[in-house]
Amino acid sequence: MSVKVLSPVKGVLAPITEVPDPVFAQAMVGPGLAVHPELTAGDAVSPVDGTIVTLHPHAFVVATADGAGVLVHLGIDTVKLKGEGFTLHVAKGDTVRAGQPVIGWDPKAIEDGGRSPICPIVALDATVENLVDIREFGPVEAGDALFTWQR
Amino acid sequence: MADDRAARILAAIGGADNIIEIEPCITRLRCELEDGSKVDEAELKAIGAHGVMRAGSVVQIIVGPEADTIASDIEDLL
Repeated sequence: MSVKVLSPVKGVLAPITEVPDPVFAQAMVGPGLAVHPELTAGDAVSPVDGTIVTLHPHAFVVATADGAGVLVHLGIDTVKLKGEGFTLHVAKGDTVRAGQPVIGWDPKAIEDGGRSPICPIVALDATVENLVDIREFGPVEAGDALFTWQR
Repeated sequence: MADDRAARILAAIGGADNIIEIEPCITRLRCELEDGSKVDEAELKAIGAHGVMRAGSVVQIIVGPEADTIASDIEDLL
């Protein structure tokens, strides 16, 4: 069983070590990648087909049918915004398709507020060896394949 | 969550009296405490925390994607 994980946002793909937060940069909850988002308002989309198992205004987890959890976090320390500037397009428990809009947000507003808008995409509880076909770092569109999670 | 993790975490951060605020954020519990030195990091790791980050009275416990559930379980105990 393998899961193709798509980019939730348009921007520039980078190693997760560029995320200015040790939990993500040190892969404490799992390995992954990060996207420096384009600084225009838009929607973050689901990286996989699955169910929204955790939903915050600034972050979400989609679990696939076989239990692979993919975390998308929109910016760093954005929990402090208490949802301001984020629009939810789904509810917790909803079934989503890969590429379906989940949260509307404005990365520029987050950067203007002094926070990093970088988006970590994390394969929860995976090991780094599980991630294959990793896309080359550089420009990426929302919905482009980032890596395949082998399970 | 029918386990005793919430109670054990609560004890390991100094009990209800030491808590100013607990906020879950996807994979971590952000705890603002009266006294950050009361945190028992070894016990938190024994409970299953992936990591503990401390900055004075603010302690972040990395518990994984069940953070929301654990935080609400802890709030039930306060």
